[in-house]
Amino acid sequence: MTPAGSLLEARALHKAYGPTPALDGADFAIHPGEVVAVMGPSGSGKSTLLHCLAGIIRPDSGSVRYGTHTLTGLSDARCSALRRTDFGFVFQFGQLVPELTCLENVALPLRLNGTKRKDAERQARDWLARLEVDGVAAKRPGEISGGQGQRVAVARALATRPRVIFADEPTGALDSLNGERVLTLLTDAARDTDAAVVLVTHESRVAAYADREIVVRDGIARETAGAA
Amino acid sequence: MSIDTTTTGGGLRGWARDLGMGVRFAVGGGREGWIRTLLTALGVGLGVLLLLGAASIPTMMETRTQRGQARLPMEMESEALAPSAATLVEAEADTEFRGDPVRGKLLRPDGDQAPTPPGVSALPGPGEMVVSPALRELLGSPEGRLLRERLHFKDVGTITQPGLIGPGELLYYAGSATLTTDDGGWRIARFGTLVKSDPLDPLLLTLLIVGCVVLLMPVALFIATAVRFGGERRDRRLAALRLIGADARATRRMAAGEALFGAVCGLLVGAGLFVVARQFVGDVTVWDINAFPSDVTPVPGLAALVLLAVPVSAIGVTLFALRRVSIEPLGVARDSAGRRRRLWWRLPFPVAGLALMLLNGRVSGRDAEVNPYLVAGGAALLLVGVTLLLPWAVDAAVARFRGGPVPWQLAVRRLQLSGGAAARAVSGITVAVAGAIALQLFFSAIQGDFMKITGQDQSRAQLRTMLPSHDIGAIRKMISEFHATEGVRGVIASIGSSARRPGPLRKGEEFRPGTLVSVGDCPSLSELAHTGPCKDGDVFVVKDSTGTVDEDDITEVARPGATVDFAGDDGRSGPPPHPRLWTIPMSARTIEARKDPTGQAVFGLMATPGSLDLKLLERPTARAMVKIDPRVPDAVEHVRNTAARIDPQTRVFTLQNTARDKQFTSLRTGLLAAATAMLALIAASMLVTMLEQLRERRRLLSVLVAFGTRRATLAWSVLWQTAVPVALGLALAVAGGAGLGLALLRMAGKTAFDWSVVWPLTAAGGALVLVVTLLSLPPLWRLMRPDGLRTE
Repeated sequence: MTPAGSLLEARALHKAYGPTPALDGADFAIHPGEVVAVMGPSGSGKSTLLHCLAGIIRPDSGSVRYGTHTLTGLSDARCSALRRTDFGFVFQFGQLVPELTCLENVALPLRLNGTKRKDAERQARDWLARLEVDGVAAKRPGEISGGQGQRVAVARALATRPRVIFADEPTGALDSLNGERVLTLLTDAARDTDAAVVLVTHESRVAAYADREIVVRDGIARETAGAA
Repeated sequence: MSIDTTTTGGGLRGWARDLGMGVRFAVGGGREGWIRTLLTALGVGLGVLLLLGAASIPTMMETRTQRGQARLPMEMESEALAPSAATLVEAEADTEFRGDPVRGKLLRPDGDQAPTPPGVSALPGPGEMVVSPALRELLGSPEGRLLRERLHFKDVGTITQPGLIGPGELLYYAGSATLTTDDGGWRIARFGTLVKSDPLDPLLLTLLIVGCVVLLMPVALFIATAVRFGGERRDRRLAALRLIGADARATRRMAAGEALFGAVCGLLVGAGLFVVARQFVGDVTVWDINAFPSDVTPVPGLAALVLLAVPVSAIGVTLFALRRVSIEPLGVARDSAGRRRRLWWRLPFPVAGLALMLLNGRVSGRDAEVNPYLVAGGAALLLVGVTLLLPWAVDAAVARFRGGPVPWQLAVRRLQLSGGAAARAVSGITVAVAGAIALQLFFSAIQGDFMKITGQDQSRAQLRTMLPSHDIGAIRKMISEFHATEGVRGVIASIGSSARRPGPLRKGEEFRPGTLVSVGDCPSLSELAHTGPCKDGDVFVVKDSTGTVDEDDITEVARPGATVDFAGDDGRSGPPPHPRLWTIPMSARTIEARKDPTGQAVFGLMATPGSLDLKLLERPTARAMVKIDPRVPDAVEHVRNTAARIDPQTRVFTLQNTARDKQFTSLRTGLLAAATAMLALIAASMLVTMLEQLRERRRLLSVLVAFGTRRATLAWSVLWQTAVPVALGLALAVAGGAGLGLALLRMAGKTAFDWSVVWPLTAAGGALVLVVTLLSLPPLWRLMRPDGLRTE
């Protein structure tokens, strides 16, 4: 499936860790502004798929195309640059730098992109406000709740105005109320900025926020009908 | 309904149960737990290795001294030993090869029951020698070619350990057929003598005590740091235990149990490393010291102290570290956040240390009293004070840092949040540098007391030698052979004897007045006196301008026109039966003496060979000072070979402008050797500490990499994280080291403060950190992989 105008496209991805296959075939495309849920049970290969799509790890075979770039052919430095400028990330936990304040955490990707500190912090403050956590700007991650931390992480993922946001179990450590709020804010903000979201989850409740679903089972990714 | 509160039970049983549970957690912690235990064991093990090494020093010194004394010949001082089947004649035949001493003796047994030196099974026959393994190896190598020419005896046996001070010692015993007591030999009946060593100078004793404290403090610090590895993960595990009912005290004891397991593993690792390192100790020479493996045996009491102190301190350190950590069922809270470190309780430590040291009073002078407890306690308190001040200094400094590029910001923020951990990591190097600065300042200030100006002038000659033979033919041959030796630019040679007033003793005289006579060519004599114009046939009367000898004796005996007798007194009251008379020519000029290149002034009569029949001289001796060409490689060794060819007993000495006291030199050498070992340990321990810190942040590093953080950014961040506390630590080390150094100088009654010794040590400390940081980069690259993102 290679629909025209796709932003991110995976073709025949295979990845194994030692003798264990983690990903055994994945072919699909993601369009701008689209929210795609990658579902599957624990250990099915969801995170591996996300890492391959984001250029964090290289597949053993197959390719990932992003716009005009083939990620699987890019050097590590080019991949890193792409992740800094075009991709955003939200993980389940342990993602905020504990020593930095929440404001500095959100400003970090901007600063890594070369934005001046004051400008980066001004933009970061706007995103914190948009994610309704501007009150914790001066606090460190250890001083805020889990839900607030995930919102800060979403703000950080959005701060560089990425074209694709990769979210790996972003609500896995949150209660349902907080989880829903975080997902609403994430998907709304993504749609506002026309960013695609790759949402890895094993909860159908979370997948309900997606436009369509890709199910990974035993390393094999298959597309199902959308559920938006 | 009753509540079971058994986990809150204290007492020995409670302690044992909780410690045991902690040990079980450490053992059953899976791969992660084992890695943590391994790192702790490695960190502690390196410390234990050095402690066991330090505990072996007394044994090593004692066994080396014992073996050294066991091979000393038992020389009879008061009366000559009559030759018998059980005696032998021995003479020193030491030499030097490319700066290394080669000890040797010539042996000639009087009978078949002559004693053998320790480590030698049978005496070598004439033209044969037995050698130490190290000397055999040197002689067999291409590098030993020149030495082979000198020690041309046939190798017939090996000197074993009982006869050697260390495995690297170059030693030989050569057999002689002609050696007698008349030409420098001593008759002995056995080997082995007890030489009472001089008591250590109070200044050196102070230096030794401070040196021990300085060297052992960083080891203790590293052990304390290593047992805190993996603290964050452990705290999370303990929180889970709280959730299922363990109380706060029990969790602390369990934490202590985990640390105890790591410390015991560290003891095993350290003991294992010690046993392995011991096997190879003979192959290593540090600052001219090497030892046999069996010499490196810890003193049992000290070894027991190490075995006991390490686990106990592991428990103590863990409980101390947890004093501000509140382990609750839902997580861990550190109440240090937001609480500033206070200076008021830290400052008294260095101040008290200084006061204790100064309480001891002056230690200059042989009779000065040194209270080892005051000095050691004072130095320890001062250095502990430096380590206590470091976290406060790091906190106070980094609190002021703002802004900066991303790597700087990441580093500074981490230091602001957990400056204590960073300070702990560098406290070892801080103490080591502080101690080294203090020792070097002290060394530098007191070395003048232990170094004397020899008066020797290396610019005029580089070697001096004396021929034991009194044969004029051999003396002439020696002089001409030195002249012909490769690399020799000139020889200042003279043949010496004594001249006396002829005739019988006068009233009140115990012996006839006399003076020295030296015969040499004009160039040689001009190095011994201000001869002015000189030609063969000239004679000079040389006055001693230094005032060290009685001018009257010279005037009475050595006058132009006077007759002198070269025959020596034999102790009888009458004149010698066969006078050797010679009349000093009236043309003899009176001149002033001049110090020769060895710093000695020669006076009396000086004659050129054409003026005097050398056969008239009784028991003449030859002195030669050799000028060598620095451009000729191994010129010194060629001269030594010539000397040995002339007579194996000929000693060749290198002229030195200064000479150091032996005790001072050996102490300085010992401390340098120990400091080198300590620096190696510091580097290894810092690397382990850094790896452990990186490992704890693996997931965060993976996340940072995921969103595109450059490697360089993280590398710089790691460098800054180390560099900032190190810079502060070194600044503190300079202050602490200068403080300790000043206290030591005051004790020694010295005021000279040599800043030039401070900076190289500080730079060395900085360089060490840089090397360790660079070594930690490859593991950092490996940790910057997405594996850390995997949670399943």
